[in-house]
Amino acid sequence: MNPFGAALVLVALVAVATVLGLVYRSRQGLFRDVADDEATVLTPADVGSQVPFGAAATLVQFSTEFCSRCPGTHRLLTQIADGRPGVAHVDVDLTHRADLASRFGVLQTPTTLILDGAGRVHARVGGPPHRADVLRHLDHLAGPEPANFPTASHLPGSPHAQ
Amino acid sequence: MPSDSVSNHAPTPNQAAQPRRAPVDPRGPRFSAAITAVLLLVVIFLSLTGASVAALSLLAVLAVLFAWGAFAGVGRHPYGLLFKRFVRPRLAPPAELEDATPPTFAQGVGLFVSVIGVALGLFGLAPFVGIAAGLAFIAAFLNAVFDYCLGCQLYLLLVRARVLGRSPAAA
Repeated sequence: MNPFGAALVLVALVAVATVLGLVYRSRQGLFRDVADDEATVLTPADVGSQVPFGAAATLVQFSTEFCSRCPGTHRLLTQIADGRPGVAHVDVDLTHRADLASRFGVLQTPTTLILDGAGRVHARVGGPPHRADVLRHLDHLAGPEPANFPTASHLPGSPHAQ
Repeated sequence: MPSDSVSNHAPTPNQAAQPRRAPVDPRGPRFSAAITAVLLLVVIFLSLTGASVAALSLLAVLAVLFAWGAFAGVGRHPYGLLFKRFVRPRLAPPAELEDATPPTFAQGVGLFVSVIGVALGLFGLAPFVGIAAGLAFIAAFLNAVFDYCLGCQLYLLLVRARVLGRSPAAA
């Protein structure tokens, strides 16, 4: 191949990698609501935690030792839980728990589940969540302020309105 | 409710046996990945223009550098030292440090891919030198530009497939 053709291949390769990166970035931190009929109710034992869940809500974070973004998410979620009564943060290390990774279908870490006070899974986030999204969901679970209901396009419907 | 925020990261006995690596500035591995990505592009260019020996040689050098990072840790890698010496002093302090284990594991993934490329090249399958470099380039590029550590995600898939992270005592 002549140098010009080779250079074109390199440009194409960089373009493909850029598209992959943009797709990846656009999918990070998106919340997926879990429909009522497929929502499971979890207990601390289900995620191998010895710590009780929160009375109002629980943020269950799945991490591994090899996850570069988990510590940042851990700090964010701890901070959020500390600032809200009844909200707990549980960080589950999957490094030696392949069974939990399979059971919850975790393909990337951090993955975060948002549980209500009864342990029912309401939402799932792949990748580092954004603070505002987590707060909005917690407002939603806590209930009384309809004005705070999520309206963002990636939060379709509000099946848990009270 | 501060007391409810806990970590299950307490080391289990089999983890405690592994030496912990010193935390690194997360921008260090990205800086290294950027250099690696450029060098991988050179490999691909050489491979495409028929300079097979040069492509193979450069990929072999990169494999050695990956091995350095994978076995000595990214903090002691030449690029890591370069970053510490010349780049980091010019940057603001990092918001947080990161465990060196994920990027070190990713170096191992890079080593694996580049060694396969070198081996196939030595067996006379020259195009695979470029293909291996292309795959490694995508990973290095995503790491440098998008802060996406492919090797770190791969680790979780290997755990799920029960290739890694098996606990000797049934958890």
